[in-house]
Formats: sequence, structure tokens, C-alpha cells
Amino acid sequence: MVNYFANLVTVTGISMILAISLNLLIGYAGIFSMAHAAFYGVGAYVAALLALHYTAELTLAVPLAMVTCAAASLLISLPALRVRGEYFVAASLGLQVIAFTVFEQWHSVTGGLSGLIGIPVAELFGYSLASPLAFMGVTIALVALVALAVICLLRTAFGRDLRAIRDDETAAAAAGKNVAVIKSIAVAISSALCAVAGVLYAFNIAFVNPESFTLNLSVLVMAMVIIGGAGTITGPIIGAALIQCLPAALSWLPLPPQNIGYLQQILYGLAMVLLMIYRPAGLMGKARSKG
Amino acid sequence: MLLLQLLLDGIQSGAVYALMAVGFAIVFGMTRIFHYSHGATYLIAGYGFYACTSVFGLPWYLSVLAAIVLSAGFGALVQLLVYRPVQRDAGSFFTVFVASFGVGVVVENLLAMMFGSGFLSVTSPLSRAQPIMGLYISQLGMIIVGTAPLIFLALNYFFDRTSVGLALRGLADNPDLVTVYGLSAKSLFLIALVLGSLLVVPAAVFQTITAGLTPSAGHRVMLISLAATIIGGIGSLRGAGLGGLLLGVAESLSFWRLPAGWSDAVTFLILLAFILLRPSGLLGQKVRV
Amino acid sequence: MNLVIRTLSAAAMSLAVGGQAMAQDAYDIGALFPLSGHTAAFGEMYRSATSLAVEHINADKFLDKPLTVTFEDSQAQAQTAVVAMNKLVRVAQVPVVLTGFSAVSKAIAPLGERDEVLVINGGASSPDLAGLSPYFYNVIPLANDEVKTLLPYLAEEMGARKIALVYVDDPLGQAVVETLGEDAPKNGMELAGSFAISSSTSQFASIAARVRQTGADAVFLAYFGQQLISLAKQLRDAGVEVPFVGISTIGDPNFIADPAGEGTIYVSQKTDWGADDALTRRFVDGYREQFGKEPTPYDANYYNATMIVAKVIDELESDGLEVTGKAIRDKLAEIRSFRVVGGELEFHDDGTVTVPSQINLIENRAVRVVQ
Repeated sequence: MVNYFANLVTVTGISMILAISLNLLIGYAGIFSMAHAAFYGVGAYVAALLALHYTAELTLAVPLAMVTCAAASLLISLPALRVRGEYFVAASLGLQVIAFTVFEQWHSVTGGLSGLIGIPVAELFGYSLASPLAFMGVTIALVALVALAVICLLRTAFGRDLRAIRDDETAAAAAGKNVAVIKSIAVAISSALCAVAGVLYAFNIAFVNPESFTLNLSVLVMAMVIIGGAGTITGPIIGAALIQCLPAALSWLPLPPQNIGYLQQILYGLAMVLLMIYRPAGLMGKARSKG
Repeated sequence: MLLLQLLLDGIQSGAVYALMAVGFAIVFGMTRIFHYSHGATYLIAGYGFYACTSVFGLPWYLSVLAAIVLSAGFGALVQLLVYRPVQRDAGSFFTVFVASFGVGVVVENLLAMMFGSGFLSVTSPLSRAQPIMGLYISQLGMIIVGTAPLIFLALNYFFDRTSVGLALRGLADNPDLVTVYGLSAKSLFLIALVLGSLLVVPAAVFQTITAGLTPSAGHRVMLISLAATIIGGIGSLRGAGLGGLLLGVAESLSFWRLPAGWSDAVTFLILLAFILLRPSGLLGQKVRV
Repeated sequence: MNLVIRTLSAAAMSLAVGGQAMAQDAYDIGALFPLSGHTAAFGEMYRSATSLAVEHINADKFLDKPLTVTFEDSQAQAQTAVVAMNKLVRVAQVPVVLTGFSAVSKAIAPLGERDEVLVINGGASSPDLAGLSPYFYNVIPLANDEVKTLLPYLAEEMGARKIALVYVDDPLGQAVVETLGEDAPKNGMELAGSFAISSSTSQFASIAARVRQTGADAVFLAYFGQQLISLAKQLRDAGVEVPFVGISTIGDPNFIADPAGEGTIYVSQKTDWGADDALTRRFVDGYREQFGKEPTPYDANYYNATMIVAKVIDELESDGLEVTGKAIRDKLAEIRSFRVVGGELEFHDDGTVTVPSQINLIENRAVRVVQ
């Protein structure tokens, strides 16, 4: 029983990291990325390959995955960020589809659709994290670290620049800010934080395949951020907890099981629509009047 | 010969993609609403057509009519119940997008509950290809390749010659100006949504007969429509048509040398190339980057 | 407010009490099927067959306590499956979990081994499910064995010389490519072309053009699910006239009922619904009566899997042993061979199975056994 809940907390924690890192883009930088699952996947594959071939040490896997994701995102975002708004949404959608194709087709590295199996148990400073409770502890610590990193980042001059760009890109550029560089750095940081979630996922499930990193997941993470409240610290955390626990909560209820999945999805969908109509800032956001 | 056949197949799927995309291009180009539930409209048209022919046993023309009524009605409902309230206090582009996405999710899962998550199709002898000088094309394929240009010609006339069409074109640039045509921006938004929605019917009916329907098909329709619209240039209907055609032909020709698994990547590499190198698309107005 | 709390706590109490009571008065086994999402149709099928078996077992009262099944939704996805598997193992504490789908099987197999819970797969046939873990058993023959059974029929009865293959590039597809490449020449046939398709492809006219070009006299479809029907229909529409052939993934009731499936020849485990042994009669008649349609091999698999578990528990009872995952697994490995619907089934050490097989022909939207 304890282990079941430990696992549930771990999975929720991973979603929280995803949502917090995406919120940095959607909520603070005004960049609407639909490719978050792609970076999550890169993080997971890096951790899986490292663990299968060299070591399952988290203190190595996490930094390596973060650096790889940040580098990959820079490669892509530097050109893509030249365009605004809807074009970036479209570009990131395209990127997500292409990333999935690469995960699926690059057999020699990703194992194709059959994926990578038998990922060993994670280690922290040489101690095995085989117990679900220990792994949950590490996950919670990492969620806290990621949240803290975002909070600190927002207090710096860089954080102020980001919000300036979000609120008025033209004014920020006129004030001498290098918009493209600031945005690219934001994307790189967000991807690096997202990679942390990928590493945890790979070790938690011990099995990585492309089907875990689809557009649907990007959308789900986006829903977490939006429902919780973009541009707030607590919003994505609450959003992730809500969306992750909804299936578990529903499965305890005596509903006709063949329709549970659909009902869940319909609930997400309705929540998104109703929130956008009545409370576009999300559950945790201030109900400010927009102008 | 193989290349010629692949080209022919490409033109056929290109015509379908063009017809999928044109409705989205109208809504997105005229109202700037990121109409993600365009995929849902497609599903409603497709499942409506399926239900009428296969469940209620109606003749095909009544079924098509029903699909048109259903999809147009859905477009109107989405505009009145979702987009208008969301936009009442200048909702941002993204707020509308999320709401639209939510609608898409609800429709997909409602349809899955009603019709099951499996594959459905309407059987028709017209979808059988016959060899003509070694090339295979079905009657239905010829019909769709013939219909697409007619629809685009009609749309051209509508947007160039009628006052409603001209007003719609003006909507994107200057919503205040359109009142000179005696129409409010509100009613023009509604017209754009209804028009954009019913235009998806030919593509939906064609696909229901040839490739079949699943509730999850909406996402792909949306992705293709978005890609075709951007490649063609936002705001240009002819551009969206050409974009769809280009995507269909490129996808089909990619089978010539590449494993079929790469066909999606080909589509989106073309899209990325356009976004990076020529964001104004084939026929769009110059975009500030 | 008070009322709400009281109602809620009453509900929680009854749940808790009910749960405990169930644990004491019944053998509870787990089932991890896709009950939602785009593969839910399969989960539904697996579930009805499992429930039917439970009904029969309990009606016979041949176990000391009734058998119950806790169903969980895997959505055919690894992460969802792992969470649900943890729930089955830790909360419901089941000794056995029935499952399907290869991604799910591979994701939950380590958990089964860790907690000594026997996992039985009756739906996925990709060959990398062999030797997955000592606690992982298949009741379904894997794809490579099925291909070997099919080839002699194609060569001798159909007179096929050239085969074209269309497959999804997953372990199942790769196994078929490999086995066809090796074994087709042994049977005097040639693999004239093989075309991998992504799981997201939806337009197949161009594939058809390339298949036609190979001049093959049979097209092997290594596919399953909704895409299979769309693929077959589009190949037919685009002028591919030669018969389709395949393995048990073809035995999807939706495919059999679709005009595109007409004339398809495929191998499956033996499912002679007309057989007059008591076991088969009861399964087939019970299934027809309850669900108003013909059972499929998958239905038989999950019916068999549940029956095998019950038989093993019965043996443990007569040995006076405690019913745990480890005990069930050890007993199953000891008995090895079981009498099931379709004939004699024998498990091997690597978790694979040998069952009698047959060649089927889809004719007038129904299955006819041709060998």
C-alpha cells in the first residue's frame, strides 16, 4: 500500500517537474511550446542509454541529460524563435512530430518502437534507490529544486527581462533587450529542467519507448499548466497533481470501466474550455481583468 | 511508371489535404482564431455521414447534406458558446487556442463513446481503383481531384466579388472597417466559422469512404491543415490549397525512396523549412519576423 | 456538510470492509487491460472472456473460495500500466496479473518479478516477450513460430512463389521480416519486397503502388488493430488483388467483418468452435449466449489463462499450500501442460507456449478452418 502511494507520488512529481518547466515558457516568457514531450523524451533516452551502458548514477545522469537537452533546444530554438506566436506553436508542433519519428526510426540508438528495456535501478552517490520510498524521496527533492531554481531565476534581472518580453516584445526590443537571445536561454533552461523529469521517468519505469513521448503528452502538460494557472508558481504544481490524480481517483469509483477513460478526457477538455471562458488565468491565477 | 503512379496518388491525397485545410485557412486567416477544433469538425462531418448512410440507411446525397448541416451547426455553436465568450474581453491568441483544444478533446471522446474507438468506414464501389493504361485511380479519386479546383474557384469568386467575402477579407486587417459593408464583426466571425466548418465536408466524406474514420483522426487533420495553411501563407486560400497539394505530393513521393515511417517527418520538415526560411508562405503577404 | 462527511465516511468504510472481506473470502486475481484509449476494443474483448471464465469457475465451485478479478486500465501505455500494476500488486495484492500488449508487458514484467507476481500475456505476440522474466508467461504463440507454421501452407496449398510484406516497424514486424527472409527460401518462395510503415501512417495508396510493382502473389500483413483494416481496404482499393496472409493478429473480429478481409489466409492457434469436447462447448456456447457473437482466439486465450490459474490454485489447495504468486508460478512450471479450449497447451522454460494451430480462411465475413 505504502509503495503504491510512493509510486503515485513519484509519477505525480515527474509531471510537476514537466509542468513547472513548461510554465517557465508559457507563463513567464510567453512562448507556447508544443514540443515539451520531445525534450522529456531526450532526457529519458539519455538517462536510459547512460544507465544501460555505463552507470545508473543520478548525479551523472541528471547533469548529462540537462546539458544534452539544453544543447538540443538551442540548436532548434535559435532559428525558430525568430518567428512569433502562432508560427512558433506550429514550429514546435512540427518539431514534436519529427522528434517522435526520430525516436521511432533511429533503431541503433533508441531501439525503435520496441524501446529500451532492463534499465537498471538508479543510484545516488552509489546507494541503490531500489525502494519506491527512496525514489519518491529523490523525486520530491528534485521537484523542490526545480521549483526553487525557477523562483530564483525569476528574481534575477533575466527574470525581469523575460516578463518584459512577455508583456510587450516590441517595447522590450526598443529598450535594447536582445529578445532572441533571452528567449533562447529561456527555452534552454526550460528544456534542461524538463530533462530532469525524463531521467526520473526512465529510472522509475525502467523501460523507455517512443509511445511515452507523443504530442498527447505535450498537450497534457500544457493542460496542467493552463488549468493550474500559467505564470504562477503554485499553478503548475496544483495542475499536475490534479490531472495526475484524476485517473487514480476515478478508478476508485464504481463507474462503468469501459467509459472511464473517455469521461476523464471529456473532463479535461471541459475544464480547459470552462476555465478559458470564466477564469483564463487558471485556478491559481489572479482573476484579473485583461485589457 | 511507379513514379507516375506515386505522383498520381500524391495529387489525390493533395486534393484531400487542400480541402481539409481550406476551412481552417478561412477561419485562421480571417479571424486569427487558432481553430484547433477544426479536427473535431472533420470528425463530426465524417461520423455524421457514416451514421446517416450505415446506421440510418439514408441515400448518399441526404447523408452529405446532413454532414453539411452538422458541421456548419457545430462551427456556429463553437463560435457562439466558446470563442465569443472567451474573446469578450480581448482573450489572447493562446486563450482561444486552449479553449478550442478543449472542445476538440471533448468531441473526440464523445464520439469514441458513441461509436467506439475502432475503425469505421462506408463501403462504396466507387473507391475501387481500375487500371487505366497501367495507372490505378478510383472514380472517387477522380471526383475529388475534380471537385477541389471547383470549390477553390467558387471560393475565389465569393471572396473577390461578393460584399460578404470582401468584408471577411478585411476582417483580418481591420475589424472596424468592415462595418462599411453593413455587417458587424460579430456576424462575420460567425460566417467565417460556419463557412470554414462546412468546407471540411467533402474531405471528410471522401476519407470516410476511402481511408476510414477513427476518433483520433482529428489531430492529424488539424496538423495537416495547419501545415498547409502556413506553407501556403496565412490569409491566402489559394496558398492553402497549393500547400495541401504540395504536402500530399511530397508525402507520396517520399515513399519512392524513403521507408514509409518517415512520411510524417517529411511533411513537417517542409513546414519547418517554410517557417524558418519563408514565413510568408507560398502566396501570403510578407510577415514581419 | 455533516451529511456529506457522514456519507463519505460510510462509503469509505464499506469500501474498506468490502475490500477486506473480499481478500479473505475470495481469490482475487488482477487484469491489466486497455479499457480506454484507442485500443479499448481489445481490452473489452479480453475482459469479457476473462469474466466468462470466472463465471464458469465459480458456478462449478471447484475452488474453496470464489475467484474474483480486479480490472485495471493500462491504456496500452507503459507509464499508466506501471502505476496500475503497482496498485494491483500493492493495494489489491493479487498473486496473478493477466495482461496484453507488448509495451505494457515489458514495462510490468520487472515489477512482477520483483514482487513475485505471475504475469500472463494472452494478447501480444512479439517475440521479445520470450524469456522476459521467470514470472512472465505467454499463453499465445509468438509471431516467429506462427510464421513458420504458415509458410508451408502458402507454398504447397496456395502455390505462392513471391511474397510482399507490409509491416509496422516494431518487434513483431521485425520478427516477421527476419523469419520470412530466412524461411521463405526454404519453402521455395521469395520475399519480393518488404515495406515498413509508421504507426501513424494513414494513406496507403502509395504503398499499394509499390506492392503491385513487386508482382507478389500474396501480401503478408504484419499488423494489428484499426490500422490493419484501413491498410487492407486501401490496398484493395488501389488495385492489389492477390490474397492477404498473416498471423493471429489478423483474427481481429472487426477485420473479419470488413469486406477488405475477404479471402485472407492466416494462422492462429486451434479454435475449432464446432469441436464437441466439453471444455470447448461450454466456452463457445457460453460466449455466444452471453455476448451474442462468435468468440475469437483472443477470447479463448484469456478464457484459457483464467482457467489455467484456477486449475493451478486447485492443485495448490489439494496440496494444502498457501496460494501466493510464487506458489502459483512454481506449480504452473511444474505441471507445464494443460488441457484447454483448442487442445493441449504446453509451457516452456522461457515462458513461451506450444499450442495446436490451424490455418484459417476469411470467407463471407466469417472464419473457415482450412487446415
